Amino acid sequence: MSDSMLNTQIQLATTWFLAARTMAVADGNVPKVKEAAAGLYARAILELPERVCIEAKQPGNIGALKIEDCLLAVRNLPRELGEKIMTGVMMIAYSNKAMHPLEVRWASMLASAIGLSEEDFQRCCVGARVIATMLNPSDEEGA
Amino acid sequence: MPNSNNFGFMDRYDQRVGRLAGQAERYVYTDPESCLFKLRLMVETMARTLIEMQAPHLVDSDLSTMLRSLERSQMLSRAHADQMHAIRRDGNSAVHGETTPGPTAMRRLHDAHRLSGWYCRIVKRGAKVELHAFEPPPRQSLDAKKAAEWKKGEALESTIEKQRQQTREALLLFSETEDTNAIAKSLVDELKGWDEIAIEAGEPLIDAEFVALVMAMDIEKLLEHPRFGVPSKEAHARAEAQFNAVREDLESKEKSFRMQRQELARGED
Repeated sequence: MSDSMLNTQIQLATTWFLAARTMAVADGNVPKVKEAAAGLYARAILELPERVCIEAKQPGNIGALKIEDCLLAVRNLPRELGEKIMTGVMMIAYSNKAMHPLEVRWASMLASAIGLSEEDFQRCCVGARVIATMLNPSDEEGA
Repeated sequence: MPNSNNFGFMDRYDQRVGRLAGQAERYVYTDPESCLFKLRLMVETMARTLIEMQAPHLVDSDLSTMLRSLERSQMLSRAHADQMHAIRRDGNSAVHGETTPGPTAMRRLHDAHRLSGWYCRIVKRGAKVELHAFEPPPRQSLDAKKAAEWKKGEALESTIEKQRQQTREALLLFSETEDTNAIAKSLVDELKGWDEIAIEAGEPLIDAEFVALVMAMDIEKLLEHPRFGVPSKEAHARAEAQFNAVREDLESKEKSFRMQRQELARGED
């Protein structure tokens, strides 16, 4: 992998983990159920290699960024990747089957930054619902 | 039966678990597979006791389901879950007849010791459990060949542990060295600031009612929905294939670890 490709991937991973973290903590909790799904999503759907996911979480990368930087980064992403990030973020929101007002706000801010129409956003929500069910087949556990 | 230096204290808290740990300890040099079998049974017994306290409806579930539930309920810390999963995985290999080098069993025995103090504190709330440092059980001195083999086994276990650690780091939302609470607070504060600005500017939220509707829909209903049905079925199939590829990659790593251990145990390295 060339250096520039590696840097692009690290940037994407950093943007993803920051967007995912913001959604995961927006309701004031950091439950474990949201944790591993984010990494699995990065590996499977965003197709990011293991070392890129590790690198993204180093202090020099994600540690230096704010929500504002995340919004700027998603704005500059190719459309398809932006939608994948939106879908993943909604998947995390779905994991506890409720949406806190700040979670809705974060979804709205991201959707605006990516430039999603209501139709696009609905498609992302449906994708998120499908993937969340696949990753958390845990209804029997919550019984 | 001689008392175990490492696990003898458990008799006061859970005799059955303490007995299994002691048996595992006795087998660690002579029969590593039996050691792992006993450790797996020990972890299953611990998990069953904990699940009875936390989610009794899952008491007849398999070990993996019980551990997942304990993780979700936050009863198991990340470190304890990792140790229990390592014992479960290596115990399963032993049960299925795979040859195991002694150092693998020793690592898991050490994990079991780390778990034992925490477990006793949970089952007897308020108990002051004094956990002494783990001491490898005594054994007869090894000849040069056996000592070299043991050293190789330890080196292999260190490599496996490092690779598993990397896999875990890649999958987690927060790195193990980060202060999760401080990061969460900072993100929420920042988000609240943005929320206030948006409210002042009169920006509407994305239709929260719609989000709630999608959230509430049964997956079957969603797949049959005239508007989303076809794309959601496609999304399902595509995502499933992608997740399966990652799972296969993770499984192939574990398979490679098992093969390396078997080669070492058979002296083929």
